[in-house]
Amino acid sequence: MKNLKYIFLLLVLPILGCSDLEEEPVSVLSPDGFFKSIQDVQTVINGAYGNMAEEAFWGRKLSLPLMLRSDMVGIGDQGTAGRRKDHDNFSVADDNGMITAFWPRTYQIIAGANEAIVGGNGLGLAEESINPVVAQAHFVRAYTYFHLVRLFGDIPYFDTPVQNIAEASQVSKTPQATVYANIIADLEFAKQWLPDTQPSSALPTKASAAGYLALVHLTINNFQEAYNEAKFVIDNEARFGLELAADFQDLFDATKQSGLKEALFTIDHNGFRSGNYGQDYTAALTGIRANEDGKGGGWSVAVPSIEVYNRWDGRDYRKAVSLDTIGVFNGAVDTFMNFPTYDARNISSAYIAKYSRFTGQTSNGNGRGSEHNYAQMRYAEVLLIAAEALNEVSPGSTEADGYINRVRARARSGNGSSFPADVTPGMSQSDFRNMVLEERRWELAFEFKRWYDIKRRDLGTTAFGTGGFEERPNFNPSRDYLLPLPNDELQRNPNLEPQNSGY
Amino acid sequence: MKKIKQFKRILFLVLSFSFALSASAQDKTITGTVTSESDGLGLPGVNVVVKGTTTGTATDFDGNYSINVSGDSTILVFSYVGYVTQEITVGVRNEINVALIEDAASLDEVVVVGYGARKKSDITGSVSSVKAEEVTAFPVLDAQQALQGRAAGVAVQSNNGGEPGTPINVTIRGNTSINASSAALVVVDGFVGATYPQPGDIESVEVLKDASATAIYGSRGANGVILVTTKKGRKGKMTVELNSNYAIQSTSNRLDLLNADQFATYTRAINPSYTQAAANTDWQDLIYTSGNTANHQLSFSGGSDNINYYVSGNYFDQKGVVVNSGFERFSFLSNIDAQINDKLKLGFNAFGSRSSKDGVSTQANSGGRGSGDVISIAYRFAPDLGVLDENGNNTFNSVGDDIDNPFAVATERVDETVEDAYRANFYGEYQIIEGLTFKSTFGFSSRNQTRGQFTPSTLITSAGDQGGIAGIANLKNTNLLSENYLTYTKEIGKGNLTLLAGYSYQKDRTVTNSAGAEGFVTNSVSYYALDTASTPLFPESFLREFEIQSQYGRVNYDYDDKYLITFTARRDGASNFAKNNKYAFFPSGALGWKISNEDFLKDNATISNLKLRVSYGITGNPSIAPYQSLATLESIYAVAGDQTVNAVVSGRPANPNLKWESSYQTNFGIDLGLWRNKASLSVDIYNIDTKDLIVGNSNTPEYTGFLNPNFLDNIGEINNKGVEITLSTKNIVTDDFSWSTDFNWSRNRNTVEKLFGSDVDFFLPSAAPGHFLQDETHILREGEALGQFFGWEYRGVYQGGALPEGTATFTGAVAGDELFTDVDGSGEINSADRKIIGDPNQDWTFGFNNTFKYKNFDLGVFFQGAVGGDIYSFTLSELASGGSNATTEAVNAWTPSNTDTNVPSPGTREKRMNSRFVFDGTYVRLKNLVLGYNLPQDITEKLGMDNVRFSISGQNLLTFTDYPGTDPEVSYRASGSQNANVNQGFDYGNYPNIESVTFSVNLKF
Repeated sequence: MKNLKYIFLLLVLPILGCSDLEEEPVSVLSPDGFFKSIQDVQTVINGAYGNMAEEAFWGRKLSLPLMLRSDMVGIGDQGTAGRRKDHDNFSVADDNGMITAFWPRTYQIIAGANEAIVGGNGLGLAEESINPVVAQAHFVRAYTYFHLVRLFGDIPYFDTPVQNIAEASQVSKTPQATVYANIIADLEFAKQWLPDTQPSSALPTKASAAGYLALVHLTINNFQEAYNEAKFVIDNEARFGLELAADFQDLFDATKQSGLKEALFTIDHNGFRSGNYGQDYTAALTGIRANEDGKGGGWSVAVPSIEVYNRWDGRDYRKAVSLDTIGVFNGAVDTFMNFPTYDARNISSAYIAKYSRFTGQTSNGNGRGSEHNYAQMRYAEVLLIAAEALNEVSPGSTEADGYINRVRARARSGNGSSFPADVTPGMSQSDFRNMVLEERRWELAFEFKRWYDIKRRDLGTTAFGTGGFEERPNFNPSRDYLLPLPNDELQRNPNLEPQNSGY
Repeated sequence: MKKIKQFKRILFLVLSFSFALSASAQDKTITGTVTSESDGLGLPGVNVVVKGTTTGTATDFDGNYSINVSGDSTILVFSYVGYVTQEITVGVRNEINVALIEDAASLDEVVVVGYGARKKSDITGSVSSVKAEEVTAFPVLDAQQALQGRAAGVAVQSNNGGEPGTPINVTIRGNTSINASSAALVVVDGFVGATYPQPGDIESVEVLKDASATAIYGSRGANGVILVTTKKGRKGKMTVELNSNYAIQSTSNRLDLLNADQFATYTRAINPSYTQAAANTDWQDLIYTSGNTANHQLSFSGGSDNINYYVSGNYFDQKGVVVNSGFERFSFLSNIDAQINDKLKLGFNAFGSRSSKDGVSTQANSGGRGSGDVISIAYRFAPDLGVLDENGNNTFNSVGDDIDNPFAVATERVDETVEDAYRANFYGEYQIIEGLTFKSTFGFSSRNQTRGQFTPSTLITSAGDQGGIAGIANLKNTNLLSENYLTYTKEIGKGNLTLLAGYSYQKDRTVTNSAGAEGFVTNSVSYYALDTASTPLFPESFLREFEIQSQYGRVNYDYDDKYLITFTARRDGASNFAKNNKYAFFPSGALGWKISNEDFLKDNATISNLKLRVSYGITGNPSIAPYQSLATLESIYAVAGDQTVNAVVSGRPANPNLKWESSYQTNFGIDLGLWRNKASLSVDIYNIDTKDLIVGNSNTPEYTGFLNPNFLDNIGEINNKGVEITLSTKNIVTDDFSWSTDFNWSRNRNTVEKLFGSDVDFFLPSAAPGHFLQDETHILREGEALGQFFGWEYRGVYQGGALPEGTATFTGAVAGDELFTDVDGSGEINSADRKIIGDPNQDWTFGFNNTFKYKNFDLGVFFQGAVGGDIYSFTLSELASGGSNATTEAVNAWTPSNTDTNVPSPGTREKRMNSRFVFDGTYVRLKNLVLGYNLPQDITEKLGMDNVRFSISGQNLLTFTDYPGTDPEVSYRASGSQNANVNQGFDYGNYPNIESVTFSVNLKF
């Protein structure tokens, strides 16, 4: 009996334990049964927007190559990473670090759109209530594949979330014609169901879908459809709440952008970030080293060649808005010819001002994590698309002249100069075509559009040849209009062969 | 003052507690000296135990002992390794001197193994023992540091040079994993996963290396196990020990950098318009200071008939060699055991500590704008600037990245971590029948950590724009452990059988939360008033739990003291294992043959001990953090219409088949003792095949659109094979003088056997500092060792004109630029010209300790080193890239008039991974040199002391190496990140290694 209490003690001690060992991860979000309401669909679409504003997409990994591959922007600091210089020099290899970074991020945006579409349709709601939200995902998917198809040509294409990884690892590339057809179908759906207006240009509207339809058709030379879609937006500009901003400068002032009505779709930042989400680097990459601009200057990575400054008419208000020709060093103003004096990584050229001049609040030095909302399409571009497309289907129209003149009038109003003058009526079709492309060069300078213009109009040989804005002897039109697919993706899925030509 | 008060309070508690316990002890005291019969010298460390009890003591350095006994009929047992055990009845005597006879056969030292103990001579696995005096040979914060060079096959690495309070990594027999930790499992007094006690409280450390020894720890045994046993009281009068030491410390090495004039000349060669500023600052001088460490330990131990106790308190305070860095810790340990009756024994073990660490940022992951990495910025910062500019503001760099000056960063940034750790372990042991006992332990440990950081707005590039940045992060970890096992021993004829069977359950729970803010009204609030800031940063919180339940068993059988057999098995079930693989089974077996006990060797004069051991077994590495096998959505930061909105993205696909990594290990060992064990040699040869390595499956195409498509999968195989040699000799033994040597040597080769295919190089995440913008630094390749450096082979300076055969340059190079090997013969250097340029794995390592004794003096000389193992210095790469200060190498840079040089012309260049910055990391280090003096016994007796010892020692006084960086023991990114295990040999901005001179006093009374 005496020992009983000891035995009792020893029986109590081991009583712990015996668990089913199932994990209950309360602080980890699970995809199982996630979609319960329309708000959940919006949350997944917001994930796609968040991915667009991430470092590996519009933060710099995609946006920077788009600038550098154009004839408007080169490399300033030659000590910068080789993966960047290779885009400017057309010496990109199939393991280029910019491509291997933005490729997965781009597909993550698409995966979000696919999840939202399947999840939204699975809720079993009436189409009037669910489709306007799901239509955002269709727009996002079209927008993202539109980048990919222009960059790579044929690509792996998915319009549902990947469930079976083994299967997905063996797909072949989808031909670009099919990709374009799918993009157009997505945008048609979006145009049908998106609302006329949204609380913010970060959310797409019917006009965003139509504007992108215009640009997609323009890109594949469906000029009539391009014109129709642009015309649809222009005819309904009041209904869509669109107008050109009065002052061109305001478009690039982060504190004023949200009050303007010119953007059809923007990638938004609000001066905060979490890690690389919401952190845009463009202000830092384009800023002047050692410039006492209150942000610690920039990194002098993406800098226009001096030809941009030299060939841009000095009377154009847009030049003053787009380029920085002075900086402040040691408390005194100095001009761009002396920029290298203050930091050897600067070059003697006018710098891009659109992103570093008015960044609003920034979450990090050098203008990183700004408040900039990056317009993916502005109403001015819709006018230029309408003019360019109309010129192709019926040249010499005063209607086309009028679209250009609206854009130029706004430019003039900035500084009250007489430049750029209205279009001379009755231009030949080819003169008008060249004029519109030049107008796009200046109006949309550094807005990530020029490379795509060079590609769709096959301007590379001129742009990068002798007498071009940037002489790039390495430019090879049979290779460089397409990027290589990341080599590691080809290793993972050999069915993606053949690699784009020349890589 | 506050510190002193707290210490006094603790001391008072400790004193009152222990006196209360010892009051019941009444007995007479026996003193005496134990000598060796062969040479008459005093034998230190002889166990003197009252027969039939656990009461006992050990002889001091001269063989003296003192023990309390309760009656004349008491029998004292004197035992010592390699000597015949003697039993002596006390009788009426008060002094008993004993001469022990050496006996080759009696290797009766008891070694702790998992869930039990074995006679050392009966061990069949590979086990290294580190003695208490080796752990305390010089003062260390963390007992793991003291293991360096002490046991073959055990690699000890600081996470960050000589940083006060930096964690220590211990790796046994090489890296067995890619993703998972290779750190050994630590078991303190049976508590799995406990924190180390402080060194002075350690009785013994056993390192279990082969599968036979570690399989009892199953899924956690693959990296080896370190068993730590703390001291316990012995029956007898209360013994008080006071060990105090004080060390003076300084940086062991610095870089030779350009002074202000040289820097201006160099910078003007890059940027002719550079204007030299007025100052001439040696930034290393400013951020380095002389450090010191004070370490005091006071312990009380003793016991009565039924109760024994050991109570100890410790105070450790280190002021680091980088200004503003330091570490302080108070800790206590209490071990109490009570024999309740013949059958039942109860015990209680408690440990507690509070530590505070004042940190400065070093080894930062990125050194770009606003970097807080004081070491790397001290190297880079312009020496022609002072701390303050003419307006009294902190200066920031005039070249390269915008960084605040290192002195301002070191003194103004706040980074404090306070941690409280407690552990309580209760056990009961009951003898059910003769030979069969049941032991049950219940333990609980808790760790609470708070880390606060603040960067004031006066650090202009770090936090000037934001108006100061502060953050506070909390971690609370609790761990519950229940172990229950039966042990049965029985003699069967000429054989002995021991059986063990047990069950264990463990649950671990960690909660973290953090908050931050920026834009402070004033810099004076530090991180204590986040609410006074204008902008809150994102708060975060997380809960992580896991459970393990296990059954384990072991059979030991030895026959005729010649043949030994051990079988061990454990079955682990763990919540963090994937759905379809919740349980794992780990068996092992071993055989031993004591050849020296066979008739033909029994009386051999030369060979006093010869044993062969062979073992094979499977052990695991759990390697799966909780929830890693589940599919996830990740919440991300997103903005729409300038408003932050809820947003999620697809995180990771599930892998319900994910399982632990398994190591299949074979071990052959031989133990040889010669000339009555004056020389003893152990050699172990092992082969470890680790399979099912958990690697992010990079075969998943990224176009599948997951944030992390590389879901964890069992893919790779690694092989480790090696040899370990331990040799101990007593070279000279005379009356007044003795000399003994301990030497250990180990060599490990690891090879990636299987990964994604023989032609696929697996690029590990870049180990370069973020601002280097380097994508790829090191690779895994089948057939090669882990973590090979990958880059271009540097071939000197391009002299202009035609390219030397087999070399080329990057596009646009001019004379004075870098020349590289043109691997593909394309005439131009690009990414296709990269190759393996270095192997960070060491060829072999060794420890070599000599102890000399002359009368009351003793001298210890301890060398430790490694041969082979390349280092890639990001530090030197950065200092050679322009846009920063440079090493004095820049004085010899290429110019049109100085063409015979290996240093390219001054210029701003990409920091490319290339062989110019790969160096041999071979080193030999005088780890410890100690000179000690024990007061003669007649004096100590007059003082009423048992023993008084003074010593002076030096640590890291000499290092022989060709490595041009500050120290060859590098560890950049070797902790904290997912692939830390394979980030070896990288050097960037590490906290400097320190050399110390230490004064110690040990009192025992």
